[in-house]
Amino acid sequence: MTRPRARLALAAAWILLCAGVSCSGAPEKPRAAGPLRVSLSSEPASLSLIGNTDRSSEILAALITESLVAYDARLGLVPRLARSWEVSPDGLIWTFHLREGVRWHDGAPVTAQDVAFTVKKVQDAATQSRSYLSQFQDVSVESLDPLTVRARYAAPYADALDSWTLPIVPEHRAAADPDFLSGEFARHPVGCGAFRLKSVEAGREIALEANDAYWEGRPGLDGIVFRIIPEERTAFEALLKGDLDLMNVTADLWNEAQGSPRAARLASFVSYPFGVWYIGWNQDGSNPYFGDPRVRRAMVLALDRNRFISRVLSDKARPAVGTWHPDSPWFDASLAPWPYDPDAARRLLDEAGWRDSNGNGTRDKDGVEFRFRLMMAASSQEWTGRIAAWVQESLARIGVEMTIEKLEWRAFQEGRRAHRFQAAMASLGLGPVPDQFELYHSSSRERGLNYGGFRDDEVDRLLVEGRRTFDPARRLEIYHAIQRRIHDLEPISPLFHFAVPVLYDARLEGLEPSPRGIWLITPGPRRWRWAAGASGH
Amino acid sequence: MLLGLARRLASGLVTLLLVTCLAFALIHAAPGDPVSAGEGGDERWFLTLTPQRQAEVRALYHLDQPLHLRYAGWLRDVARLDLGRSFHDRRPVRDKIGERLGTTLGINLVALALMCVLSLPAGGLAAWRSGGAWDRLSAAAGYALYSIPAFWAALLLQIVFSVKLDWLPLYGLASDGAERLGTIHRLLDRGAHMVLPVVCLSYGGLAYFSRFVRASLLENAFGEASRAARARGVSVARLLFRHGLRQAALPLLTLAGFVLPALVSGSVIVETIFSIPGLGSLFTEAVLQRDVPVVMGLTLLSSVMTLAGIVVADVGYLLADPRVRRAPG
Repeated sequence: MTRPRARLALAAAWILLCAGVSCSGAPEKPRAAGPLRVSLSSEPASLSLIGNTDRSSEILAALITESLVAYDARLGLVPRLARSWEVSPDGLIWTFHLREGVRWHDGAPVTAQDVAFTVKKVQDAATQSRSYLSQFQDVSVESLDPLTVRARYAAPYADALDSWTLPIVPEHRAAADPDFLSGEFARHPVGCGAFRLKSVEAGREIALEANDAYWEGRPGLDGIVFRIIPEERTAFEALLKGDLDLMNVTADLWNEAQGSPRAARLASFVSYPFGVWYIGWNQDGSNPYFGDPRVRRAMVLALDRNRFISRVLSDKARPAVGTWHPDSPWFDASLAPWPYDPDAARRLLDEAGWRDSNGNGTRDKDGVEFRFRLMMAASSQEWTGRIAAWVQESLARIGVEMTIEKLEWRAFQEGRRAHRFQAAMASLGLGPVPDQFELYHSSSRERGLNYGGFRDDEVDRLLVEGRRTFDPARRLEIYHAIQRRIHDLEPISPLFHFAVPVLYDARLEGLEPSPRGIWLITPGPRRWRWAAGASGH
Repeated sequence: MLLGLARRLASGLVTLLLVTCLAFALIHAAPGDPVSAGEGGDERWFLTLTPQRQAEVRALYHLDQPLHLRYAGWLRDVARLDLGRSFHDRRPVRDKIGERLGTTLGINLVALALMCVLSLPAGGLAAWRSGGAWDRLSAAAGYALYSIPAFWAALLLQIVFSVKLDWLPLYGLASDGAERLGTIHRLLDRGAHMVLPVVCLSYGGLAYFSRFVRASLLENAFGEASRAARARGVSVARLLFRHGLRQAALPLLTLAGFVLPALVSGSVIVETIFSIPGLGSLFTEAVLQRDVPVVMGLTLLSSVMTLAGIVVADVGYLLADPRVRRAPG
């Protein structure tokens, strides 16, 4: 133990031993006016902006640096570092023209060379760029001149622009660092974004300050302080105490805040992120039940989702109709969630040959009873168990017996990857692109998320065509056709989109709800500001 | 005596080897691997890679080598005092542990000191009037405390002392801007932040320790043997301080040696709830991420601490008890 620490320990022991000493002797908490104070549930693995990416590091990267394009709150891709771009007729070559006059925090200009360098860094497995590696694995990028970048793809991919939300890093600062994830650059990352890194205290907080020289003008906030608080409850109490200004909460905490006088200074809104809570049906022939689309649809018709949402989920969810987000421009609004119709469900099961022939209350066919196992990951979130119990109860009413198998998350994941399940319940986070090849294409059974082995030639064909079609109107037709076909065949049953309530200091202005959350959109945090007259905290 | 000590150390090393081997086997036997252990366990990034890229990523985590070779490699590095680099951020494991060790040890030593110091009067009083009101009350309270789960106590203490009364800080180890305060105020601030975590860490052990002190005193100062001494005219005070407390204190210290490693692992929950960047929260994160080098480094550290505690305890007994000292081998 170092000497200052030893002194601290002694001093603390002294305080503790004088029993009953309250903290009246402790200093008043010094409060700076200005920076927005928020919590992060975990420390980012790396501040290298593109290395070992997780949610926390993506948020920080989007503030510290910029990408060629970015999503706005309505999920449109808007120009950022790229002023414009064009695609070759064969769809293989994308050319980006960079904005002139954008500078890194150290004053050097942002060039095409930096973009090419960033992509090479992402392609290096050692960077562990989880969010971007798969999108850039078959792309070669070169700079044609300081303001022109050319990206060559191995196959045409109409959604390629989505991957250019990649944060760009400065070659002259990052290239020399042999230890990219934790070396000099990762300790003092330099970007070209609206905020620059001010200070980092390991395990405690990361502070950003406004970049006065930002190319779009100084941001509205003087700074943002991220506090590392792993325990959600602790962060919530800190919010109510006034130690934090903004927080995403669960429905339970939101309800608690509604009745609390301590939440009086807070305003709130609700947004629906790209997440679907769903049941996947294994239809690879390993069970006698779910190969038949009628059976799969009967399952969802037996569920009274609206009632469950209002009774159990405090209205903080809405029934899902598919895996395309309802706020996405690609969503087919003519589709509606399957209604609660237990009679229709019974008819479908009868048609499919599942009848209760021996009168024991459970349907059967060819001597096999309709008894299946629903696999799910054990969770500390109590409501996941309540969903399973509700499905079980609802299916019992149509003569289907379901048992619940809760596994540790990794075991669940392995079981799913090895296709060792009959039905599996989990959440699925998708992005703004319409392409859902990895979820529904038959080849994605092995290299993707099609764990249940769904296979439909029409869907396969449309998915491939959608990836190659650049004309927006034609794409829209293709993806609407896919959504309708998927809706009919019900390869998986999307159950709910969950709301994420956001609680924030009512004096904070400029927040916009979006399926991408409040941070990863543009202008997003760049335009947040304290209301006139609000002197910070 | 030296021979005995050398023998202890040798068997300690063998134990260490077995413990790390077991830990290594266990973390690999558990489902999941570093590839699928990102945030929320999302494995999609990996599943959508080409086979060649997948192989590169697997090599990064040494998943391309058979298990026994990976363990042998780890042992070889440890023999060179190199704990390797974290899978997660590629930082040396030694640095990651080093920067958090002080925090965790600090909190735990304060908790331990508190347990030892408070358990002497509490246990002493109970032994002195054994069967009396205080004895029964402290026994009941002790059992109750011992059975309260730390996470529950932590949340309760936060709500009462931090949220409702606003006497103590809610989380962390320092207030905003604490670095600008003078030394005294900074120490007071640090002390205030430590109160709730330390209470959470020590209340269970306190109950255990005071029962231990009581039993030890009953035997040495107030028990059958001491009755004879008192019959010979030895005063109660002399019995208590010359025989009883001395007899009780030494085993208590050795007990503390055993308890410290357990406390450090117990601080996993407390550190998470109070957002304290210590070894406990590092361990939780490392296990969730299947960050093998960090998990192994921490396992090694706590094994060494436990073994050191045992050796210290043995030496303590050797010094304190002539019977052990004289026993052959």
